[in-house]
Amino acid sequence: LSDEAFFEPANNTYPFGCHIAMLEIDRETGETTLLKFVAVDDAGNLINPLIVEGQIHGGLAQGIGQALIEEVVYSDEGQLLTGSFMDYALPRAIDFPHFELEATVTPTPLNPLGAKGVGEAGTLGSTPTVVAAAVDALSEFGVKHIDMMLRPEKLWRIIQGGAS
Amino acid sequence: VISTTFEYSRATSLDDALARLRAANGGGKLVAGGHSLIPLMKLRLSEPGTLIDIARIPGLSGIRETAGGIEIGAGTVHHDVATSALLQQACPMVAEAAAAIGDPQVRNRGTLGGSLAHADPAADYPAVMLALDADIHLMGPTGSRVVKARDFFRGLFTVDLAADEIIVSVQFRPVKCAAYAKLYQRASHFAIVGVAAALDAENGTIRSARIGLTGASSHATRLTDVEEALAGKPLSASSIEEAARLAGASLQDINSDIHASEEYRRAMIPVFAGRALKRALERAA
Repeated sequence: LSDEAFFEPANNTYPFGCHIAMLEIDRETGETTLLKFVAVDDAGNLINPLIVEGQIHGGLAQGIGQALIEEVVYSDEGQLLTGSFMDYALPRAIDFPHFELEATVTPTPLNPLGAKGVGEAGTLGSTPTVVAAAVDALSEFGVKHIDMMLRPEKLWRIIQGGAS
Repeated sequence: VISTTFEYSRATSLDDALARLRAANGGGKLVAGGHSLIPLMKLRLSEPGTLIDIARIPGLSGIRETAGGIEIGAGTVHHDVATSALLQQACPMVAEAAAAIGDPQVRNRGTLGGSLAHADPAADYPAVMLALDADIHLMGPTGSRVVKARDFFRGLFTVDLAADEIIVSVQFRPVKCAAYAKLYQRASHFAIVGVAAALDAENGTIRSARIGLTGASSHATRLTDVEEALAGKPLSASSIEEAARLAGASLQDINSDIHASEEYRRAMIPVFAGRALKRALERAA
């Protein structure tokens, strides 16, 4: 005896959230220190809140890493220069503060669980949040935009009065 | 990422290690923590025929008080230096620099002797040994000799150590009034610029200063301009600020790579010289 059933939701679900970063930039060196990071995400009903939190933690590490320390660099001849983890900065636990997470719960009516996606909530919010914090910190230098990643030398040049 | 084939043997004593080095006839390499050598072997930048493991030679590791000061065995891992109560109390700069090396995995395996022998231009220990005016004790087939740190580091990955010699230990007079400050390369945690500063002060006057710089050029060097500017000055924040401004100004060859341009590195030398000196001054109180 066998049976198959398919559930096809009538539409996509839309998780949402808000991330806030407190970032410190060293005026003398351009080094960044992430002091505080708060993420409030709404993935509807959380079936397993611990798993959801873990997924967001991982996403935050990936997103913040992309903004602050991760960069693939090639030479003019096309040779990969960040070919090992000695040169490509993979985020580590010490690169982050303790993440502060909250969840609002707005169940979706589109499925019986009331659950929405949480896959990329951490990565999507954190990257622009961290860069926006840096732009805000450097606003006194007329900065309105900075390309990722926020290499200390790049920020140092902005502070020294160079172009952003 | 896979090394060429090699023989492996474990030395039971310094004499045994020297004999094995001699027997390898130039094809032998000493290994302890392996945190510099093994990556090079995996990239096939180094292809030794024989590895001679010196990690478990009795007496080669450990931190001891001696008549002239403190002795750190070459086989001592960074973690043991970083957490040594003796060093934290008597010469905190050394413990502080060891704690700033790499990550916990590196600090649990990597050794002082390995770091000095390898002499990576961005390694932390060489700057510290320069600031301490440390004696580096070596042993070879014809006996032992002592090299001053300032004579030991000669060029890019080049030190005064023959292929048949072993670093046994490092000895120095502890300096309380000393500190190490560095700009981290965020991937490897090597120093983009690292400065070790030691002050010899008496009655509120700086008698002499020794300052070691790493990361900025082909090998660790002393910042003699700053040392001279500090000698005889009052032990004060203003003396330090004034002297730190000179740091690196007379250096000719400054490194430039994907992590930092020459211009940025040059600008960071006075910043980190100032930070190291400031913390050294705080330790004078």
